[in-house]
Amino acid sequence: MRNNLFTTFAIIFLTVTGAIAKKEPALPTAKEGKQKPLSLVRVNVTGQPYDYFRPWQKKAPQSKRALGAVLSKGRVLVTADLVANQNYVELERAESGEKSAANVQVIDYESNLALLEPAEKNFLDGIAPLEIATDTVVGDRLAAWQLEPTGALVATEGLVTTIQMTHYPVDVGQFLTYRVSISMQYRENSYTIPLVKNNKLAGLLLRYDPRAQLVDAIPAPIITHFLKDAETERYDGFPSAGFSFFPTRDPQLRAFAGQTGKPGGVYVTSVEPNMPAMKAGLQVGDIVMAIGNNVIDQNGNYVDPLYGKIEFTNLLTAHAFAGDNVPFQIQREGKPMQLKITLEHRAAKNYVVSPYSLDQPPLYYVLGGVIFQELSRQYLKEWGANWQKEAPQRFVYLDRFQSELFPEGHRKVVVLSQVLPANATIGYDDLAYLVVKKVNGAEVKSLAELAEAVKHPIDGFIKIETEEDLKQIELEVAQVAAEAPALQENYGIPSLERLE
Amino acid sequence: MKRFYLSILLVAFEVTQLQAQQNAPPLPFPMQPNASAKPTAAAPAIVTVPVPPARPNGPVQKSLVRITSTEVEPDYRAPWNAGALQRGIGAGFVVEGNRIMTNAHVVSNSLERDGDPNKYPAKVQFVANDCDLAFITVDAPNFYKNMVPLKFGGIPELESTVSAYGYPIGGERMSVTAGIVSRIDFQLYTHSSIDSHLAIQISAQINPGNSGGPVMQNAKVVGVAFQGYSGDVAQGVAYMVPTPVIRRFLKDIEDGHYDKYVDLAMTYAKLQNPAQRRFLGLKDDGRGVLVTTVVAAGPCAKTLREGDVLLAIDDHSIASDASVELEGEHVEMPEVVERKFKGDTVKFDIWRDKQQMSVKIVLSTVWPYLVQGHSYDARPRFVVYGGLLFQPLSLDLIEAYQPTDLRLRHYFDYFVLEQIYLEHPDVIVLTNILPDPINTFLMPYRGGIVDEINGKKIRTLDELAKTFSEPADRFVVKIIGDGPPLVLDPKQAEAARERIKTRYNVVREQNLQEQPTKETKVSAVTGPSSLSLARTSSPRVPMQPENLLDKTEKISGLQGER
Repeated sequence: MRNNLFTTFAIIFLTVTGAIAKKEPALPTAKEGKQKPLSLVRVNVTGQPYDYFRPWQKKAPQSKRALGAVLSKGRVLVTADLVANQNYVELERAESGEKSAANVQVIDYESNLALLEPAEKNFLDGIAPLEIATDTVVGDRLAAWQLEPTGALVATEGLVTTIQMTHYPVDVGQFLTYRVSISMQYRENSYTIPLVKNNKLAGLLLRYDPRAQLVDAIPAPIITHFLKDAETERYDGFPSAGFSFFPTRDPQLRAFAGQTGKPGGVYVTSVEPNMPAMKAGLQVGDIVMAIGNNVIDQNGNYVDPLYGKIEFTNLLTAHAFAGDNVPFQIQREGKPMQLKITLEHRAAKNYVVSPYSLDQPPLYYVLGGVIFQELSRQYLKEWGANWQKEAPQRFVYLDRFQSELFPEGHRKVVVLSQVLPANATIGYDDLAYLVVKKVNGAEVKSLAELAEAVKHPIDGFIKIETEEDLKQIELEVAQVAAEAPALQENYGIPSLERLE
Repeated sequence: MKRFYLSILLVAFEVTQLQAQQNAPPLPFPMQPNASAKPTAAAPAIVTVPVPPARPNGPVQKSLVRITSTEVEPDYRAPWNAGALQRGIGAGFVVEGNRIMTNAHVVSNSLERDGDPNKYPAKVQFVANDCDLAFITVDAPNFYKNMVPLKFGGIPELESTVSAYGYPIGGERMSVTAGIVSRIDFQLYTHSSIDSHLAIQISAQINPGNSGGPVMQNAKVVGVAFQGYSGDVAQGVAYMVPTPVIRRFLKDIEDGHYDKYVDLAMTYAKLQNPAQRRFLGLKDDGRGVLVTTVVAAGPCAKTLREGDVLLAIDDHSIASDASVELEGEHVEMPEVVERKFKGDTVKFDIWRDKQQMSVKIVLSTVWPYLVQGHSYDARPRFVVYGGLLFQPLSLDLIEAYQPTDLRLRHYFDYFVLEQIYLEHPDVIVLTNILPDPINTFLMPYRGGIVDEINGKKIRTLDELAKTFSEPADRFVVKIIGDGPPLVLDPKQAEAARERIKTRYNVVREQNLQEQPTKETKVSAVTGPSSLSLARTSSPRVPMQPENLLDKTEKISGLQGER
């Protein structure tokens, strides 16, 4: 693009000089190639999300253009959002327009970060990598770096107004976030935008509210955590302890919990099964008083040397790693105790209703026109940004209260998501959004279990029992088998199942 | 019948959505009469009849009465208050036995109002909120002197012409509009908003003020106008209560008491899938419906099971699309039950485990459904303790607070289907907190549902009140879900009691019994001689979103996890 522009300019210029002929124009002396390249590259991504309503196919390809921050060792940092479900990623040098295909090296959807590496080893040569500044505090000024079409830098400065814990897009816990008051202008590559402090990377744009002119940024401490983890042999992801808590502001609650001494700490309201906190023996009703030497106040904050008071979960996300053995000071019925909790990353697949599923094809099973899927938030998000209101409310309820409704964990919720009209499904056409309990009498706790149970029909029939009305539907094995090719043909289903 | 319980709810939900958007919900005439409202070019064509000439329906004005009622609309957000007064005007007509028939929603929540020399105080005799009918009587001996009682007819033919009489907007004297019978079908009766009965759609213009008025054909009453859509939702869609429903009401009250509709309290599904029919061992004869849910509190609980197939009801064969032939007409199966009364039996021929058998069911009313419908002539039940307002979940509560809390909505929507009432006959919600130093930290608990207090399951509001009245060191209230318990110190609550009562003008701290708002009375005026404003039931005032059940702050509001 830039190359073309340049040539066009050159041609016009020649014509003009040719016409005027005599006068020598006072042109600036060209310093081409001498300018130090910026530590930014353009990132062009073509992605194709899976279609959860037609789980055998992908949606139409979408292209996004963004900026990546060039880091040491030939790596480029972008948001995970940008490269999620990507088919093709391309890096483009801002000053020359040269391009190289790129691979996603590491991606972490929870912290919304990803590292890219160019396919051509020397592609980033000559670009000075960005260092990272982790010392940003409230009141600092950060510059958002964007590029003009010419490759020139557009730097807009903004003020860091708040540093706090917020929810990131996939909504697995909260992470440290910088909020920056900034009036950014639209540029073509406005997807991932680096925020820079004294020419060092301070954050990466997470979301922008143009009306309030506020940017939320993934802060450097989360970026460095991600990078440090990425340099290890196996990327673990951000750690989790697996408990819910509530502030102890209420003196009645503190008295009930038997708290003695100075008020403070958070009240443990639930402990997730099979997670580190439970393994270490943390119980509902305990008060977590401190993590390491960091005392937690009754609002759930500790005093951070950089930010002052901030929610204690920051200690577990920004500072601790999976596998760390973290000392928790707790009070149980007034008695001080210490627990060592070995933190783990909780993978999306280890939830009953997994919170996200990207770059992975959705599982499904089609039986005579009846479509079964595992309930996931990715599926619910097909109802759009307002999915919590728009999606079937029963499913939203199952997702929201999953740890309460399925305390044993280690299972999925199989749903009958829709019915394709076919001979085998006459009279069932209106069925949708039902939770499957049993198939052929066997309890079904995953799609694989459903597929297995289907193989054991009752007198030539497959009986499917659901939580909601109809409660039971039956299909005839012979009919389903005979109709399968026509079903695939009519609805364009390449395969009637995807179980892995 | 509440066969399609879920779809009813969905409709109700969409109605509220609509209400929020355009403030013109498809509810029966909840429009405020506007004194300044003038007819526009698009105004309904209403023919007023100043001096009544001879008409095919006879001198209807000699039977028509204009009903003025003053209503007390209970305030679910301040349930200790009497509620707001609202005036309404509707129509009624004299029938045999010196009584006046009108809609339940015309007399509901009514209060006595003084009559002037031309007006006659009236008494409510029977109210049937589930089918929106009522009888009122006037004691004054002169009242019926020149009145002509009307007689009831049958179900009018589709496309036949009918005339509606009443006192709608547009003028002050009796108005008559004509239209044709457009549709005869089951409809949701929005007065209770949980009952569906037969209703007849007519194309006659019906507006607020027509409610309770007779719809006539050949000098006989063929229906009572009761609900319709306001013009910006759908035009020319109005409904009347047909005579089968009226006759059922007349029969029900013969013993001096209205028993309400009975219900099978079960759901069923059409049996149209051939494989399913073969699996169940049914013949390919297009008969039978599948029993899908049997409500434990209903009359079928001990007799029917999930998976039974209903083949016949009272010897009427049930087709696989759930229709039965009744008096030469194809009607839906519940219509057979619709015509029955409390204590009547219904016989089912069923198919269970590939065997045919007969069962008898003694019909009864099913209380859990009432939670999901509007209640009338009742004061909201509540308990205030320590500045915390506890109220049982009900449709009126949902409409008053418009909660968005997912758990609360789930408990309401699935109260019957998931048999939540078995564990919590009252789903007791902490609906609001009257701020005081003793409860200032408890705001995050708003919207929570009470499960246990001090380890004891709380099933009803009475149990809650009783528990709070008993001595204890502290009350530990377990809220459903994995949030923290709510802890109260009885000594502090007692000390703050008068302070809270005074500060928030809480005149009563509890109402455990549903009570009529007061002795209900209306005043009636004979039609032709009076001036009238058009209006029927009170409008449901849109809820103010600024307090209570805050939309973002819920029990888990300040919670975190990691």
